[in-house]
Amino acid sequence: MNMLAVILNSTIRSTTPILLAALGSAICSQVGVFNIALEGQILIGCFVSIVANYFTGNVYLAVLCGMLGGAAVASIVAILQVKYKAADMVIGTSVNLLTSGLTSVLLSTIFGVRGSFSSPELISLPKIKLPVISEIPVVSRLFEQLTFIDYLSYIIAILMFVYLYKTVSGFHTQSVGKNIEAADSLGIKTLRTQIIAVLVSGALCGLGGSVLSMGQVTLFTEDMSAGRGYMAMASASMGQAHPLFVIASSLFFGICQSAGVLLQNYVPSQLTQAIPYAATVIALSIFGWRAIRKKNA
Amino acid sequence: MDKIKTYLKRFGAIMAQPVIATILGLLVGAVFIIASDENPIEIYQTMFSRSFLSPYYLSQTLTRATPIIICGIATAAAWRAGYINIGVEGQMITGSFAATLAAIYIPLPGPLLLIVSILLGMLAGSIYASIVSVLNMKFGSSIVICTLMLNYVANYIASYLVSYPFMDPYGDGISLVTQTIPESVQFVKLSTTNNLSIGIIIAAIVVIAFYFMERKTVFGYESKMTGFNPNFAKYGGVFERKVMLKTLALSGAIAALAGICEIYGSKYRYTDNMFTSASFAWTGLMAALISNLHPIGIFFTSIFLSGLQVGGQAIQRTSSIPIQMATVIQSSITLFVSAKLGVQFFSKWRKQKKQEPAKPQESKGGAETV
Amino acid sequence: MFLELKNITKTFGKTVANDNISFGLNKGEILALIGENGAGKSTISKILYGLNKPDSGEIFLDGKKLKIHSVLDAIDHGIGMVQQHFMLFESYTVAENIVYGKEPKKNGFFDRKRAAEIVRELGDEYGLHIDPDLKVEDCSVGMRQRIEILKVLYQNADIIIFDEPTAVLVPQEIEELLKTIKDLAKRGKSIIIITHKLQEVMDVADRTVVLRQGKFVGERLISETDIKELSYLMVGRGIPPREVEKKEPGKLVLDVEDLRYKHEGVSILNGLSINVHEGEIVGIAGVSGNGQTELIQCLTGLLKPDSGKVELCGEDISGKSVREIRDLGCAHIPEDRYEFGCARKADLEETSIMGYEHLPEFSSKGLLNEKHNQEFALNLLDKYSVKYDHMGEPAGALSGGNIQKLIVAREIEHNSKFLIAAEPTRGVDIGAQEFIHDRLMDKRNRGDGVLLISSELSEVMSLSDRIYVIYDGQIRGEFTRAEADTNKVGFLMMGGQNGQD
Repeated sequence: MNMLAVILNSTIRSTTPILLAALGSAICSQVGVFNIALEGQILIGCFVSIVANYFTGNVYLAVLCGMLGGAAVASIVAILQVKYKAADMVIGTSVNLLTSGLTSVLLSTIFGVRGSFSSPELISLPKIKLPVISEIPVVSRLFEQLTFIDYLSYIIAILMFVYLYKTVSGFHTQSVGKNIEAADSLGIKTLRTQIIAVLVSGALCGLGGSVLSMGQVTLFTEDMSAGRGYMAMASASMGQAHPLFVIASSLFFGICQSAGVLLQNYVPSQLTQAIPYAATVIALSIFGWRAIRKKNA
Repeated sequence: MDKIKTYLKRFGAIMAQPVIATILGLLVGAVFIIASDENPIEIYQTMFSRSFLSPYYLSQTLTRATPIIICGIATAAAWRAGYINIGVEGQMITGSFAATLAAIYIPLPGPLLLIVSILLGMLAGSIYASIVSVLNMKFGSSIVICTLMLNYVANYIASYLVSYPFMDPYGDGISLVTQTIPESVQFVKLSTTNNLSIGIIIAAIVVIAFYFMERKTVFGYESKMTGFNPNFAKYGGVFERKVMLKTLALSGAIAALAGICEIYGSKYRYTDNMFTSASFAWTGLMAALISNLHPIGIFFTSIFLSGLQVGGQAIQRTSSIPIQMATVIQSSITLFVSAKLGVQFFSKWRKQKKQEPAKPQESKGGAETV
Repeated sequence: MFLELKNITKTFGKTVANDNISFGLNKGEILALIGENGAGKSTISKILYGLNKPDSGEIFLDGKKLKIHSVLDAIDHGIGMVQQHFMLFESYTVAENIVYGKEPKKNGFFDRKRAAEIVRELGDEYGLHIDPDLKVEDCSVGMRQRIEILKVLYQNADIIIFDEPTAVLVPQEIEELLKTIKDLAKRGKSIIIITHKLQEVMDVADRTVVLRQGKFVGERLISETDIKELSYLMVGRGIPPREVEKKEPGKLVLDVEDLRYKHEGVSILNGLSINVHEGEIVGIAGVSGNGQTELIQCLTGLLKPDSGKVELCGEDISGKSVREIRDLGCAHIPEDRYEFGCARKADLEETSIMGYEHLPEFSSKGLLNEKHNQEFALNLLDKYSVKYDHMGEPAGALSGGNIQKLIVAREIEHNSKFLIAAEPTRGVDIGAQEFIHDRLMDKRNRGDGVLLISSELSEVMSLSDRIYVIYDGQIRGEFTRAEADTNKVGFLMMGGQNGQD
């Protein structure tokens, strides 16, 4: 029982960054933008949070900066890919490489270190102790060590669902992805909608990045996003870009990640580390890939 | 005479974009160099003198460029047909690991072993790439995501293999390595004074062969049309699935060759993470994007990018600038090229000067289908 | 005058779409704006609706000068438009589409229930009934048009522009629509209808304005004119009726029996049978979406039929690949030139050799025969007088008519026994249209079989020796040239059964 609670707890914790990024991917595909730069948006979030954390000593400010960093990287996508219509794959992969290089360069310029940075001065995200639940023996295990972002990510998913499917503005936002020409002809500022969606995805990925670098561990290592951006894309497509379904599909990726960690006691770590990636390929094949992006002929 | 003129004009038009983008990319790099309290002119001077301007460094640059060029071609082979393969790294690892094992463990005489092991390696790389085409055909799984995920899978599995079953216990003591490949399969050096092997000639041959394949063969035509508009190709009787299978298999085989050249030509053994840390595949990808998938362009761009990295290593030793500065400059160049920002700005400025109507912009080729 | 346009000029690059055009519209009037394809009718209506900005000229409403910068401005001024290409969201419901932009709200949320009520009430008021909860993807073309009209009415438009509203409808639906338009005018709406079908103009309009090549050429009250005069104004000359060379059909080229095809559980072709002989053009009339696309794709090997016999020149081709079918002698002018007919980025030579590239003259041992291929392409471009800059030009740079000519050239020059011509003249100008029709006729006169599939009934009627009517994936009737008449064919196109007229 206790073991199960520990597994679930670790699943929840590893789900959060993927869920947040997957919601970012979902909002982009809802407005018809194929955003591949999620990976870079997460990575910059990790990095900027640590930098802000180190210099301000305020963990909330750090989270905010992480989100802004994610949005800043997303703005490259917004400008080049959405506004100037450059090819999505090219922009996405270059942005991912750019952030990978940039974070390494800045790591050395700012902290004078290479590879990774951690410091006792860094403050990790406070773990929330739920009032009643933390008294119950097994269940408390389940909710142990969770940060506010872990809870927030589910609230964001629900809010995103309400916005997209229940409000007029969300109705218009969705319509941009369904038929951009028609939306345009009916006076929707389609370009602005797409740009905002991309920026939101940047902020969400940035948030996911901050929980990655300040949640379970408090440090930054090069390329610590480790393909989560692409997993998030897989998750969003499996959840058909519907925020509530995306929760489910992201939990699956969380399970794979925590399974990888757990099995390390029995199998060489090199092999367990491959599990989430192999699982992504298998899951994508089982669920079939529905075009996350409508082809623009 | 006129023909030469129009040719030069067209050449100029093709070159304008990458050249402007390169200048802008170097400017972006300069900003970060200044931010690190260094003098960009000095840094760039060191970078270029320690990559191109002496025979020793030039040979290093060319050695490093060898796998990059071939990775660039592997990328172009897939992207031009519309199959976004970002798994060159994984195919490179699988292929070269297989070739290395074959070279170490198969008892065959030298020249035969060389050929057999290379072919086995290329076969492994192309099978690894074909996993994705089969998944895509059967289940419609995204090529982009699957190829990327398989990079990690390949690297971790190779990492396991080099840590346990195939580890050389008498390795170099720093990293996990396999045994060295027999001398009989090691590539011949081009000169006795430096490290440059015939790998660079193989790379050049790959470039020329690809150029020929692209322009002169039915397969080249059919895969190009598939990349432009798969429906058009299907309508014309092109068997799309065959094109995809062949294209990704080819791409994987070329990727494997890139890794093989690196191992047979310069490192002589598989070292854990050797390809991921050097980022050959991604540099090759950027070279392909900067050159708009043109093979000759890939050849020279790869050498330039490789020079940035070799120069980057030099400045990493002498200043506070890390080697990843090269990545920043490279990806900035790619972004500037793809957005055609420089050219757009330039042509706008010219238009204002001349007040003549401009032709509508053609959209970029090759990279729009997933 | 209620609405007045003064000296509107609009150019696209080198072409002048509207050259100093002025006309007015009275309250409650139905004004027909007529002209050939490319006369500038659509441009001027798009200017009114805020989709295009004029280079110069002014628009007055009730004597006040209007500034229309966007569609929203136009809607604000009470100008609405039912566009030729419907601007609908397929996966949204009818109600969601209609209230779009002016949604009813409850507690800040989108009140979808109220939206459905509004649509029901609006439909009752104007006699345009439709189920508000239906998804648009499940609606027929006629229904979609009704949705567009309701949308315009919901936006409270006083001036309604109809852009080629009858192009996609069958005769009976057209009648219905014209009634609706008259009814709207009676209720005080002012209407501009854009069309090139003169009979409709005579039936519905009060007044007409004629455009030719971007210029205003005349204005007539309908009570004071007739079709002959209008057609003369429109084209600048009389159109000679097509002369058809008499030809006895020969051997069977295409024989299809009981063809069935299902997609995701929905039957699309339900036991369809047709045949085509040598030396005849067989037309398939029908509202688009009744299985034409799937029929073409089953014949050409792009789709595999579930069952049924498909024989080409006596050989069974069901289950054969596109290449095998092409090699057996089936050429194909595709429905959508940009989806199937070409690739925008491919150059003209590459466009020209598609489907031939594996043949011995075009390549040997996997190597392309460049010299031959270039000559071949040049010959096609020349013979079909395609206007182009140079061979290296991408197909996307050619105008629609020119690229269509190149595709037609490529397919006809296959010299195959059988040709499928699907929407061969969609969206091309009148000159290219006639040219392509002539080439199809030549093909027939050479003794080959042609299957013509077109949603433009007049095209099918004027070219075909024999006409099939397709409805719901079945053939509902067959006519010879002599028997065919618009009403009978139209009745079957609507899903009417023979014998229950």
